[in-house]
Parts: sequence; C-alpha cells; structure tokens
Amino acid sequence: MKFGLFYELSVPRPWTRESERTVYTNALEQVKLADELGFDQVWAVEHHFLEEYSHCPAPELFLTACAMVTKRIRVGFGIVVCVPEFNHPIKIAERTAVLDILSGGRVEVGTGRSATWTELAGFNASPDVTKKSWDEFVRCLPRIWTSEKFEFEGEFWSMPRRTILPKVYQRPHPPMWVAVTSPGTELDAADRGLGSLGLTFGQFAEQDKRIAEYRRRIQLCEPVGEFVNDQVSTVNFLYCHEDDAAALKTGRQMANHFNYLAAQLISVRETYPSKSYPSLGLLPQLRRQATGPDASEQAGEGLCLGGPERITRALKRWEACGVDRVNFLINTAETIPQAEVLASLRLFGREVMPTFNGGKS
Amino acid sequence: MPVFGELELRTIAGGLPAMKDLDTEAWELPKAEILQLACEVADGTRVLLPRALHPAIPEYVTFVVTRYPESPVGPFNLAQVRLMARAGVHPRGYVLGAVASSPAAMTALRERWGYPTVAGEITLRHYHDRVAAIVRRDGKTILEMALVDPEIIAGGDLQYIHAITLARVDGAAQLVQVDPHYTLHQASRGRAEVSRFEPAAWNAVLVELTTPISASAATCDTDLPRIRFVMDPETPVVRGTRKVR
Repeated sequence: MKFGLFYELSVPRPWTRESERTVYTNALEQVKLADELGFDQVWAVEHHFLEEYSHCPAPELFLTACAMVTKRIRVGFGIVVCVPEFNHPIKIAERTAVLDILSGGRVEVGTGRSATWTELAGFNASPDVTKKSWDEFVRCLPRIWTSEKFEFEGEFWSMPRRTILPKVYQRPHPPMWVAVTSPGTELDAADRGLGSLGLTFGQFAEQDKRIAEYRRRIQLCEPVGEFVNDQVSTVNFLYCHEDDAAALKTGRQMANHFNYLAAQLISVRETYPSKSYPSLGLLPQLRRQATGPDASEQAGEGLCLGGPERITRALKRWEACGVDRVNFLINTAETIPQAEVLASLRLFGREVMPTFNGGKS
Repeated sequence: MPVFGELELRTIAGGLPAMKDLDTEAWELPKAEILQLACEVADGTRVLLPRALHPAIPEYVTFVVTRYPESPVGPFNLAQVRLMARAGVHPRGYVLGAVASSPAAMTALRERWGYPTVAGEITLRHYHDRVAAIVRRDGKTILEMALVDPEIIAGGDLQYIHAITLARVDGAAQLVQVDPHYTLHQASRGRAEVSRFEPAAWNAVLVELTTPISASAATCDTDLPRIRFVMDPETPVVRGTRKVR
C-alpha cells in the first residue's frame, strides 16, 4: 500500500493578504516532510470559485513548486477538469509534459469533469456534455504525448496536424486516473484502463463491492493509453497522535470542517436536472458524516484519526478491500496548527508506515 | 466559516405570519403540478437572509408555482420565491414571498406552516412548447415565467430542496422547516425564461435576476407535512435547531 497527500488548499475566512500565502507555504512544508518520510505521492485538485473550500485553480503550479523542494515524491496533477471551457486538451498535455520534465518523470494525471454548478456555470459549460468531453479528452491525451505529430477532429475540439511540445519525460506516458465520486464512475475508469482515484470517504462494505467490480471490469478494458493503470486509490483524513482520544477530537474537528465547507457548494444536481449527473456524488455522504446519527462514529469506520494502532487497523482494513493507495487530507482551513500537522505526519511515518510493505516505503 | 445571512430581523418582525402552534397536521396533496425555475441573482441578497443561514455560492433564487387540484381546503395554486441557502450543511430554500389563489389556502398556509402568503391569481398552463405561469396581484402581473422547449426526463433526475419559512410561534420568530415528500409521475426540463418579476411584491426588493439556470416541471403526489424542525433565526442552525418531533 502506498500513501500520499491530497490538497484542496482550503483558506479560512477572514481572508487577509497573507492567508492564502500561508496555506500554500504550509502545504509546501508538509509535502517536503512527506517526501523525507517516504510518502509516495502528492495530489492537488483543480477548483475554481469555491470560497474557502478550495483556492487551488492552478494545481500544476503548486505541484511544480512541490517538485522543486522534493526528491522522490510523485506529483498528482489532478483532478484536472477535462471540459473545454476550463482547459484546452493541448494545454493539459503541454502543462503535464513540462511538469513531468521538471519533476524528473514524477507526474501522475487525474482526470475529471467538475461536479458543481458554481464551477461549470462560471465557465459557461453545459453539465449535460461533460462526460462526453471528458471521454474525448482522455482518449486524446496519451496520443498527444506519444505521437510525433498530432491532428484531431472531434465533437468538442479539433486541430490540424502539429507537433505538440514538449513530450512527457516518462515513457510511454504518465499513469492516468479518473476521479471517482459518483457510484458507477469507477466502471468508466475500468472500461478505459484508467486508475480509480476515489474521492469518497465511503464505508468498507460499499467500497468492497465497488472495488471488486472495478477489478472485474478492467480485465476486459480497451485502454485509452499505452498501458493499463489498474490501481485503486482512495482518500482519507489523517490525524495521528499518541493520545487516541485527543487525536479523535482534533481529527473530527478537521473532518467536520471539511465536510461543512464541502456542503456549501452547489452540486450540479441541486439546481440543474441532468442525467449526466445522476447522483449527488460526494455531498450527501459528507453531510451525513458531518451531522448525521453516525457522525460521532465516523472515526470507527475507516477514517485515519487516532493513535498509530487505530490508524494501522483502519488501513489494514482498506488494504484488505483491495485499495492500493490512500491519499490523506491532513488539514482543512488551517484547523490544526502547522506544528501539529507536521508532528502527525512524523508519527505516522515512524509508527504506521513501517507496518506496510515490509517496512519499505 | 462560510458567511452568514445579514437580515435585521426587527425590520420584518411586525409582518411575520403568526402560527397557531407547531402541532400542524399533514396535508396529502395528490396529483400536484409543479413548475420550478432557478436563476442566479446579483450579490447583495444576504441582507434578506436570516443570520442562522449561509447564502448559496453563487446566490440564486427559485420560483416555484404549484397547482394542487386536491387539498383539505379544496383546489388551490401556490407561488413562491425562495432565496436558496444552507442551513448548516443542508441546502434549503428560504421563502421570501408567497401567493395563494384561495383565501382558505392563504390562511392555512400562514397559520400552519408559516408561509408569508398573500392572496392573488395564479395560472399554470401547459403548451406544446412551454409550461408557463403568471402570478397577478391587485390587477398587476408580479411574476411571468416559463419553462421553454420541454424535454422529458426521469423523475429521479429532479431534486426538490426543502423550504424554510420565517414565522412567529408563541410570540417568537422561528424558522420552520417544511420538507414535503414527492412521488413523481412525470417530469420535464427546459430553458428558464422569466419575462416579468416584481421583486417588491415578493419581499425581495434587492433581488436582481442575472443568469437563468434551469427550469423543470413535474406531476407528483406530495404533501405539506407535519413540522419536524424549527430554528432560531439569529443563531447558526448547528446550535439553534430544535427537533419538534
């Protein structure tokens, strides 16, 4: 099992000149430490207009900075929004290639299509066709990276024959993933030979079923890239402290704060009926976790909040579900002081990580 | 923490509907027809929203016109303008203004669920290329809107957000959650078109429509349920919610 960090880069009000800089600077310090501790990857999500929840519209810039202060940790460019009003596919390919070169071949690419009205309407993008445009993008990206020259005529974009430069540093190209929030999207990933980059904090029983079906389906895939990425990644909260009770209390505050901010977003489905968004995705679950009857029990069902032993048990259970990677949210809106976040990472690195992969990161 | 509403309660306290109590019996409302439009609005509506609630990001309103062919007070139509918000983590529509087509419905909605209803005329018509609603009051059109170019969708694609009214209960202002059930029989969606909207007639003087979002129409069995939750309008709902039953 591999471990990583996952950033939305949330910035609490009141916003001052320094508050966003502080969040970015703290995140960089965390990533640098995570690299030293042997974490495998850091992801940063593209979001726009999402007040407090995410001030991360240019993840590739943040990840470039990460790459410059680290040696080994891989940089996850994603979720990059594969909707033409947000990003031209050539620009995605080019930016990925530059980041891959600068990081020495450490890039992974996570693809998605946005799930909020706030963002899609902000770019004047129709929610009805985002899955189709995402599909077109993910089929093009590997061809752009691996072809000397490229031309394309599609439903959402076209271009005459050109040499798209630079090329990615990794050969044949970086691993590709799909952001999975709504049930069923993991099958879209499987059918295309793409990794499942889970963004839900779901319960074990549900994840067991979804991962099993993903594993079955990907055996039959028609890969869009040069190779199949059959890994399953999930996201989790992490706050590790010697005192179990104190860790749970602090960790729950962070998790609840994250869930509260996430619930403020306008999901597509809340306001725009479309079969392209058949479920509310992440939000109902987060609302339930924040205020529902199981709120006080949430750390008991797989969240990595607590002492090293408790966290190890949770991760062993995820490993048994078939999860290959766990990416951690380690703070939200600076709820936890930076020194404590770093201490939590160190304790995790010292006490928990060695119990996986034979003690090798 | 997200920003909160900034309503000065004292500015509207005198005109709030007075509820008899919170022991409202439910109304079954079969075969209802609902036309709902959503539209983004210009910044500045926060002063209309109680301090217990968070504004939506971006701010938007919904217009909901419903025909109830059967009810305990006979057939009636109801039109509402709702400022969309968050009660803690839950999306809710705060009812700014409401018009009912019958005096009995108007009174019952005020006394039993806290709707700020006034009397008016409401038409809801289905045409081949649109579903249209007109609301008139004192001989003046205060809302004219339509779903244009309807296309059939699955009922499951529709989501109705629960309403919150602001009323006086036992002498104190309370936010009242109204959370109907819906069994959908038919649903369509289309382009939203608001050709006339008089904000002042809906207690919404600062609401300036900007970007239309969506329109939907549905036929369903629904209800006006018993009241389950009330909230202190001045306290964040995480601390100020009281479960009635």
